[in-house]
Amino acid sequence: MNLKPKFPAFLRRSISRKITALVVLSTVAALAVSAIGLIYYTLRDYRETKLDDVRTQAEVVGRAAAPALAFNDPKDAEQDLATLAARPDVVHAAVYGVDGTLFAAYTREGNVEPIPERVDESGLGIHGERVTLAYPILEDGQRLGTLVLDVRYGLRARLLAYVIILLAVTLGALLASLLVSSWLQRAVTDPILSVAEAARRVIERRDLSMRAGKTTDDEIGILADAINGMLADLEREMAERRTAEDALRTADRRKDEFLATLAHELRNPLAPIRNALYLLRMDGADAETHAEARAIIERQVQQMVRLVDDLLEVSRITTGKLRLRRERVEVRKVATAALEAVEPMIRDRGHRLTVSLPPPGLTIDADPTRLSQVFLNLLNNAAKFTEPGGKIDFALEVRNGELMARVTDDGVGIAPDMIEPIFEMFAQADRSLERTTMGLGVGLSLSRRLMELHGGTIEAESGGAGRGASFIVRMPAAGAEISIHSIDAASRIAPVDGNGRPAILVVDDNEDFALTLARLLRARGYQVRVEHDGLAGLAAAERLHPDVAFIDLGMPKLNGYDLARRMRANPATAGAMLIAVTGWGQEEDRARTEQAGFDGHLVKPIDPASVLNLLASIAEDAKRSETPPGAPAA
Amino acid sequence: MRAVAPILLASSLLAPGFARADLENEVKAAYLFRFLSYLEWSEPAAPSGEGAPLVIGVIGADDVYDALKDIVQGRLAQGRPVEVRRLKDGDDAKGVHLIFVGKSAAGGLPKWASGNGAVVVSEVDGALKRGAAINLLRKADHVRFEVAPLAAERKGVRISSRMLAIAAHVETDTP
Repeated sequence: MNLKPKFPAFLRRSISRKITALVVLSTVAALAVSAIGLIYYTLRDYRETKLDDVRTQAEVVGRAAAPALAFNDPKDAEQDLATLAARPDVVHAAVYGVDGTLFAAYTREGNVEPIPERVDESGLGIHGERVTLAYPILEDGQRLGTLVLDVRYGLRARLLAYVIILLAVTLGALLASLLVSSWLQRAVTDPILSVAEAARRVIERRDLSMRAGKTTDDEIGILADAINGMLADLEREMAERRTAEDALRTADRRKDEFLATLAHELRNPLAPIRNALYLLRMDGADAETHAEARAIIERQVQQMVRLVDDLLEVSRITTGKLRLRRERVEVRKVATAALEAVEPMIRDRGHRLTVSLPPPGLTIDADPTRLSQVFLNLLNNAAKFTEPGGKIDFALEVRNGELMARVTDDGVGIAPDMIEPIFEMFAQADRSLERTTMGLGVGLSLSRRLMELHGGTIEAESGGAGRGASFIVRMPAAGAEISIHSIDAASRIAPVDGNGRPAILVVDDNEDFALTLARLLRARGYQVRVEHDGLAGLAAAERLHPDVAFIDLGMPKLNGYDLARRMRANPATAGAMLIAVTGWGQEEDRARTEQAGFDGHLVKPIDPASVLNLLASIAEDAKRSETPPGAPAA
Repeated sequence: MRAVAPILLASSLLAPGFARADLENEVKAAYLFRFLSYLEWSEPAAPSGEGAPLVIGVIGADDVYDALKDIVQGRLAQGRPVEVRRLKDGDDAKGVHLIFVGKSAAGGLPKWASGNGAVVVSEVDGALKRGAAINLLRKADHVRFEVAPLAAERKGVRISSRMLAIAAHVETDTP
């Protein structure tokens, strides 16, 4: 069943007209129903009131006329009836004897209707505008006769008055309802129209940034909010889709470029190789030419191997097969490997390189090959993108459990909008054909991925094109077990024996630890003295003048801090390298040992390899410090 | 329907040919019965006890007596049965509420009027002067009546004002 009202055509177009029609129709309907009820009630009430009234009148007149009837005095009865002249609605009245014959009568002035000679039973009741009522006249229980009253009903006049009043009320109510509907128009229709207008504009202009104005907190407000919310969602999703499409297009374009670059790069070495082969085949070539041709082939093959290696890395990254082989490695060695690999190129291009590395013996948990590859890539880029004779700086440090390496150059720099994109696969900062530097655009992307696998990051900074660039590598280095507070400490140590190996003092109340460490060091040929308390340690130090002392902090008689201070206070022992051995590795613990005069801070459990590395470096540095300045470092 | 017939007759006295004496007597008998409805007896003259009758005594008017006998049969006045008693000179009128003194016994009017608690009705000229409270008159074809309310009041009886309104004459002088 369809309960929706069928609006006429002229109402279907606009909500405001519907509201007007609604208000007016409901007003008229309500008025009509109430008018019908009112008229029905009034007529019923009027009828009863009228009949009661006539009955009462009849009783009064009948009672007055009773004696006249009883003692047969029609004149007196007529006088009684004449009192009805006071009631204009009485048309005529008649008293009939008990036998039904006319006894006395009254008729209103101007009334020409005949008065029936006998009681007309059939004429009683309400007939149109007339009420005819017969009333028995009784005296002392005896029926003396009948009074018949003929009265004007007056219903039509009453009805007419009501209809006129109702028409006036209806007219007033219609005016009021039109006022109400025009008010509703503002309160209800305007917000709806505003929402509808917004929706229409969105459809017409395809402009998703349009918003519907919210003016109320009712259902229309909710509708506006819902539409706005959907528009916002749609707008965002469309933007996301565009971004994703752009990214896909960019990636696709890069792949194309990559293929072109790859072909070019692979082809480049082939011409020199072919030329070299031609030289080798020449009969008249001398030995020098042959050597040169071999060198060319070697260099070019090397270049092709690198390209193919890069390709393999790309394949590993894209298939997710890139894996790290982590081990304890000394940071210095990793950095040195990269520096050695890039050294020929830097020398060729005449760059000035400054290097700052952490002290020897510092180990971290990393894949040495990959980490070195990252450093090498950054150094390579710096050398490649800096004009000959440029300045390159490589600084590496481990601080607060973090490794940070920075490669800075004063080369071509990076435009601000290219800072992030250069890390993307196949990206080329310079896409011009005239570019002097070629590559596959894999290096930085690979480096970033490798640092991510190490739990680290790689970022670029640049003041802009032509202003040089700086690449920063960070990774956690919580595994760094030795930290040397001052690099100078190493140079203070002088070898005590002929082999240049330092004399070592181990002071620790944990006998097992002290003895195993001593045994390990002795096996390497070091001269080791072990003591188990602070005072004994001090005595041994004053007697033996060790080069290096491993000192436990919590010890009986004299604790590690006090032992360190006393050794520093005595000029005979002040030059020793003091290394704290403790279970505490927080920054404030390191600060305390440094304050007490320690040179290093070793956190248990210690890695024997790192201890040995440390000692070896110390020995090396000590030996080097004896050699005259200007001699090349090994 | 015997009981109704005289009433009907009484109501149709306007009809001409009211010559017959028995019709006049019947009208008079009917009037006597109807007077009971407009009279109010006070103690001690009032009938005592529930269901005690109102008594009408008739002297010197046998025809009226006969007609009245018929009329009161089975009918009530003031909610009481009505008894008709024939009286003669020297009878004790104790317990009688209304006495009709006919023309032939009019000589005894003063005696009946002074004697007891009964209201005296008569049918002779000047009867009110001689102690009667109500007097029936013959006027043209009609039977009318005149009233002396004070005479009735002396007997402890009040005459309804509605009956006074219909009376042909109300005597205000006291004899």
